[in-house]
Amino acid sequence: MMEWLAKAAFALYVLIIAGGAVLAVGAKNLVRALVGLVLTLFGVAGMYLLMSAPVVAFMQILIYVGAVSVLIFIAIMLVRTGPEGDETKARSLRQFLYAFFGLAAPALILGGTIIKRPVESASIPAEVSVAQLGEGLLGPYTLAFELISAVLLVAMAGAVLVAFERRGDK
Amino acid sequence: MSPLLLYQLVAVMLLSIGLFGLIWRRTLIGMLISVELLLNGAGLSLVAAAQLTPASAVLGQLGTLLIMGLAAAEATLVLAIVVVVVRRFQTSDSSAVSELKG
Repeated sequence: MMEWLAKAAFALYVLIIAGGAVLAVGAKNLVRALVGLVLTLFGVAGMYLLMSAPVVAFMQILIYVGAVSVLIFIAIMLVRTGPEGDETKARSLRQFLYAFFGLAAPALILGGTIIKRPVESASIPAEVSVAQLGEGLLGPYTLAFELISAVLLVAMAGAVLVAFERRGDK
Repeated sequence: MSPLLLYQLVAVMLLSIGLFGLIWRRTLIGMLISVELLLNGAGLSLVAAAQLTPASAVLGQLGTLLIMGLAAAEATLVLAIVVVVVRRFQTSDSSAVSELKG
């Protein structure tokens, strides 16, 4: 019963992820593309839950759905393209071919490799408690933790510096 | 098919669609949305590999958290770049931004 439920949930998440990704890439309106991206993010969070990684799923919703998508929405708002925005213009056949090559190359090479040489997989995912994650962050991986906070600080300061415009300086 | 293979295939699907969108999109924001798809594929693959193999699960989950932090930093910087580009070129079309020393 539980096995069957997990399979059904996995299929549902795959559908959500695929539909959201196609919408995010194909929609002419950028706000609709953003909605597609949010759908995909929720689907990936569901997959993290299926793999019994609830902390990562929670952070996925908190950081991606909560912060990054709002940032992208602000960017869309600042650019102010109407429904007849830049995405509705026709594209050349060459651009389609390039894009299709970008779709097919990783799918064929990576997909073929992982199907041909499958790695031994455990059927039950590893259990990691929040305490273990915290000990990891404050123990062996302290440097990465501190570096990512420095990177975030520098990125935000740099963003303010780049976008800042002095009065009468144009 | 083993569970790990299924998760990896979903990650490859996200990678392919994201790469397609990165080339297909004309505006910088459309490209940013595609990059987020790519990064999600990377995170999914990393957590799947950490949870379903004997590899260190803590390392995999923390690595995915770091990817999320990098994605947030990247989105912040792209927002600033889009603001500057739109102010200077009045459009966010990536092919219009072809002028050096503007």
